[in-house]
Amino acid sequence: MSEAKLLTVQARAPFEVYYVGNAYTVTATNKVGKFDILPGHADFFSIIDPDSEVIIQTEKEEINIKVSNGIITVKDDTVLLFLNI
Amino acid sequence: MRRVNDIKKDSQEIETVESLTSVFESLASTQVAKVKNKVQMSQEFFNLLWEKYTSLRVDSDSWLMSRHKEDNGRDVYIMISAEAGLSGDIDLRLVETVLRDYDPKTTDIIVLGTHGAQQLLQRGAHYVGFYKVPLTDTYVDVSPIVESIRKYRHVKVYFEEYVSLGVQDIKTIDLIQQIQAMTKGAEDSSQVMSTSETIFEPSLDEIADIMEDAMMSLALSQAILESGLAQDASRFNAMAAAKKRAMELVGFYKLEYHRSVRADNDRRMREVMISLKRKERMRVNA
Repeated sequence: MSEAKLLTVQARAPFEVYYVGNAYTVTATNKVGKFDILPGHADFFSIIDPDSEVIIQTEKEEINIKVSNGIITVKDDTVLLFLNI
Repeated sequence: MRRVNDIKKDSQEIETVESLTSVFESLASTQVAKVKNKVQMSQEFFNLLWEKYTSLRVDSDSWLMSRHKEDNGRDVYIMISAEAGLSGDIDLRLVETVLRDYDPKTTDIIVLGTHGAQQLLQRGAHYVGFYKVPLTDTYVDVSPIVESIRKYRHVKVYFEEYVSLGVQDIKTIDLIQQIQAMTKGAEDSSQVMSTSETIFEPSLDEIADIMEDAMMSLALSQAILESGLAQDASRFNAMAAAKKRAMELVGFYKLEYHRSVRADNDRRMREVMISLKRKERMRVNA
């Protein structure tokens, strides 16, 4: 059986690294609404809603990060989260 | 010569000062290590952000021109000082450097830190904006400052630079040039993200504007961090000097104490001898 595809995720603030590693999904909120990033997602660039929450579902745990603002980029299953800028 | 009890009391007080300065010295030293780590982390963050920014725009330098839409024809100096004292003479040097370059006809001053603001007022200089210095180990939100400098033609930042634990200098940077300097360590992205293959929410231009503000904030945050680092180092030096002086004083008081005790003993001995001689004389005379 083949292993499930995973995202490569980096979630950082200027002075803090929240998470670096693999994840099943990343959930965040932008102007349009709440969205999930799963493996195979189209290339994506968005501004995260102020005072919202980012959820990273990893193999071991669910990481909840409260953010004052942020940017999310997705390219080739690599998710970069620039938070609290 | 002073009395033994007075010297003993002074000596105990100085020993307390010595202990306190040791504690402050350790605290400043720990803070320096912590902030250095944060500066490094912030640079890594900036490099990643820059890489993404250049993937949006091939002409990544052109945005610098677009910032002057609201140009009011004036320059602004941002002076980053300390929130409190105990940081040696470094804030004084900072204020003197700012005032040497300052021309009220063409320039406004925005000051960060209560200590610097007080020193400016004492010298009769007027500032248009004041912000408290964010604590270096908490999130540095500089967005109100970035918002207030948007209308200026040139933004110069004056802050205290950490050269080494023993040396701190006053540094002046042009904020835009500083952003360009910060990109030197970062790689431009070879993967361009265009609207044909990438979903942008909101539009590409809006995202680019937000990223530009973010990079401006980061450059300013780094200056604030570095200034905090220099102040901690300066505080460390001031405390180290105070500790050294306290140790010298403790040594001096110990010597003075022993001399005083010895003088007391000598005086008593002399009195006993005089008394004995007097008795001996009285015995002979009798």
